[in-house]
Amino acid sequence: METTVTKKTERLIGKPIRRREDPRLITGTATYVEDIELPGMHYAAVVRSPHPAADIKGIDTGAAEQHPGVVAVYTGKDIDHLGAVPCGISLPDLRIPHHHLLAQDRVYYVGHPVAVVVANDRYIAADAVDLVEVEYEPTDSVSEPEEALEAGAPAVHAEWPDNVAFTHHQEGGDIEKAFAEADVIVKERIVSQRLAPSAMEPRGTVASWNSGDESLTVYSSTQIPHILRTLMAGVLGLPEHKLRVIAPEVGGGFGSKCELYPEEALTAFIAMKIGKPVKWVLTRRDEFLATIHGRGHIDYYELAAKKDGTMLGLKVKIIQDVGSFHMLLTPAMPTLSVLMLPGLYRFKNVHADVVGVFTHRMATDLYRGAGRPEATHGIERMVEVLAAELGMDPVELRTKNFVPPSDFPYDTPMGVSYDSGNYAAILEKAVQTVGYSQLREEQQEARRQGRLMGIGIATYGEICAFGPSPALPTGGWESATVKIEPSGQVTVMTGVSPHGQGSQTTFSQIAADELGVDIDDIVVTHGDTSTVQHGVGTFGSRNTAVGGTALVLAIRELKEKIETYGAMLLESDDVSYAAGVCTCNKTGKTVTLGEIAMTSWTGPTYPANTQPGLVATNYWEPPNFAFPFGAHIVVSEVDRDTGEVAIQRYLAVDDCGKVINPLLVDGQVHGGVAQGLGQALYEQVVYDDTGQLVTGEYMDYALPKAAMVPTIETDRTETPSPVNPLGVKGVGEAGTIAASPAVVNSVVDALSHLGVRHIDMPLTPEKIWKLVQQGGSA
Amino acid sequence: MKISGSRLLDLDQEQCYRALQDPSVLERCMPGCRSLVRVGEDTYAMKMKMALASISGLFDGKVRIADRNFPHSFRLLVEGSGRIGFLKGDGLLQLTPENGGTSVGYEGEVRVGGTISAVGQRLMDTTSKMMIKRFFDKLAESLTPPQQ
Repeated sequence: METTVTKKTERLIGKPIRRREDPRLITGTATYVEDIELPGMHYAAVVRSPHPAADIKGIDTGAAEQHPGVVAVYTGKDIDHLGAVPCGISLPDLRIPHHHLLAQDRVYYVGHPVAVVVANDRYIAADAVDLVEVEYEPTDSVSEPEEALEAGAPAVHAEWPDNVAFTHHQEGGDIEKAFAEADVIVKERIVSQRLAPSAMEPRGTVASWNSGDESLTVYSSTQIPHILRTLMAGVLGLPEHKLRVIAPEVGGGFGSKCELYPEEALTAFIAMKIGKPVKWVLTRRDEFLATIHGRGHIDYYELAAKKDGTMLGLKVKIIQDVGSFHMLLTPAMPTLSVLMLPGLYRFKNVHADVVGVFTHRMATDLYRGAGRPEATHGIERMVEVLAAELGMDPVELRTKNFVPPSDFPYDTPMGVSYDSGNYAAILEKAVQTVGYSQLREEQQEARRQGRLMGIGIATYGEICAFGPSPALPTGGWESATVKIEPSGQVTVMTGVSPHGQGSQTTFSQIAADELGVDIDDIVVTHGDTSTVQHGVGTFGSRNTAVGGTALVLAIRELKEKIETYGAMLLESDDVSYAAGVCTCNKTGKTVTLGEIAMTSWTGPTYPANTQPGLVATNYWEPPNFAFPFGAHIVVSEVDRDTGEVAIQRYLAVDDCGKVINPLLVDGQVHGGVAQGLGQALYEQVVYDDTGQLVTGEYMDYALPKAAMVPTIETDRTETPSPVNPLGVKGVGEAGTIAASPAVVNSVVDALSHLGVRHIDMPLTPEKIWKLVQQGGSA
Repeated sequence: MKISGSRLLDLDQEQCYRALQDPSVLERCMPGCRSLVRVGEDTYAMKMKMALASISGLFDGKVRIADRNFPHSFRLLVEGSGRIGFLKGDGLLQLTPENGGTSVGYEGEVRVGGTISAVGQRLMDTTSKMMIKRFFDKLAESLTPPQQ
């Protein structure tokens, strides 16, 4: 057999390597859940509640069951022996309502699954949904979290009439002293509205039951295949090793696929019941109703400062709209906000009270940034409000209060330790690049002409590289297996489950450099619980920092074995491995990685005390999070006649630690900014006062189109993280976190001379126009 | 959603009052109404087709007449549900003589839910106005004797 000789000296880390995923994605040869067809496939469709709150008086499935092609209809009573949709968070006073896969005797939100119809054709299944007769007796509902907290509001869950889902309190320093010493205290109510995560691929699941060996294979559009397997096995009462979960190509998630949804388990349950493979894919309309929403905060801020701008302390009350049930990580969202409350500033006194509130709405949970965007929006708005109050330049005010570079690692009052950073330097770089002082002059000139131009600054700190295990309910480690095949090519199996991040590319770069082989000799696989050792998955900007580090460590371990084999083949104790070749340091004789690999698998002899095969697995547990940071500056102009906001410049200067692939980092920033800008200007999930969702399709939910997103200038500083050997921090959520305050700050700045201090998102033309017409007063 | 308005009909008040409660007239004049069958004292079963934005569907519902005050006013309670959601309406109709005819004033509230609410909200207002206008147009047309 021929062996492949691979040699490489050029380093790929830091190079703009094109995404190795793209050929299959852009030629339509990738396989998503929707593309999977199995012999005998049946199709499931879900009957959903049109009421936010109602008792179910009866369900008549007769007409649906008799419809030709329908094989079964299941309702709540058929699944009451199965486990509940899990919530993985514990807080001391957390209230967790039992969340059945299908409603039992009550519905709790519009879209609540009530029954599921199974047919041999997906159109028949969809039609038969209309034949299921559900008799509802509607009851009073409550949609707004602040109304839900009022005495006498309808109780979402009868056992908890106050609608409080949980509370959380955290403080640091001496808040009373800080406020007593303050010269100025600014206050604001700041809303981070509900958002629809809007992954391009809707959720979907295919399940196939093998009755012969009683095993189940589930293909699901998920970010967490291994966790999903554990959870699903628990819900179904199936031994976990009889369950295989595969995340095929997954078209985005932004956190929304980091769950066990009722429909995923139902699809599996049905496949086991009818003994046929079953497919269920969500329609876009149902995606709006029944996929988690992000954000949903109403926050009350108080910031105390000295006259000279020294910030002293922050009091925050966070009201988190939970929805009617917790999903996997719902209660953790506002606790993540709390960790980021101080932003990049060095004041030590913080007081945070959180209340999670049940409402008759779909659950909220993690969406790109997950808790940190709300906190960053809050502190970055408050800094601007303070600057306006003091008449200080917002750049000067920020710089005065930043944690200085000499203070790292920096212990915040919220109990986390910022790993590394130089905050003043990155803001200075952004200010220089954008030409800040000249922009201020242009703004003066614009105002003289009657134009409304604004300059918005936002700095941010981010918690990435999730994370140390004590901070996560799932375990925070990540894994990698590296195998050199007999003919010398490299297979990497990673426990992360990328779904658009391009991690096959970054991991190939890392492996190519560490092993010194050609990138084309590397294949990175993931997302299959039967082939990948184990894994935690993809969320919290953890792929490269945690999964990439496990890969580096696995390769380093493997290199020792390569040298052991090299020493045997070169008959020398003094060998070293580099660039695909093992060299005897005395004789200069060499043996290639391919030759070593073939020997390791096929013998005939092996080094003493060394196992056959070049394969190594590493599970890496990070000692801390990593904390990227950045400064974004937006120049915008408000049309005083229409209230429309035009973004004229968008500059993003980010520090995500060591950059593996600048193309991918830019891509993450672009995508993140588009989503943050979407929140700032356009998007909001709206329920009316009767609890009905009124933004149920893209005609009503304004996701920005390409033409609505400005050109984004990107730049970077590079402060390596000391937390991992790659020095990387993470960049998956940065753009989203920085963009909403940067955009809003620019618009408030454009209207500041009218007395405007704060505007809640989204900054719709109507809202802005009214402000301009009323001379600034809301 | 709140609905209110009025329409002048070229009929006397008593004629108007009777016509507005005559199931055969209502069946003919209500846009999308497929059938209206008396099922009890002041209660009717109704089937109607409704189209809104990109969705349409059959509604099965009930119409009830209450608070009769001949020939001045009565209350109309409508509820229906179907594949695209549900609707629930409660309206007061008031009849007053005006310029030799009768002014029919209506004031009420309509609630919708399900798909019809999620994807049709922005068209609800104009659609309901249009349906009310069509109803009265047809009513006027079917009741007014042809001009000689």
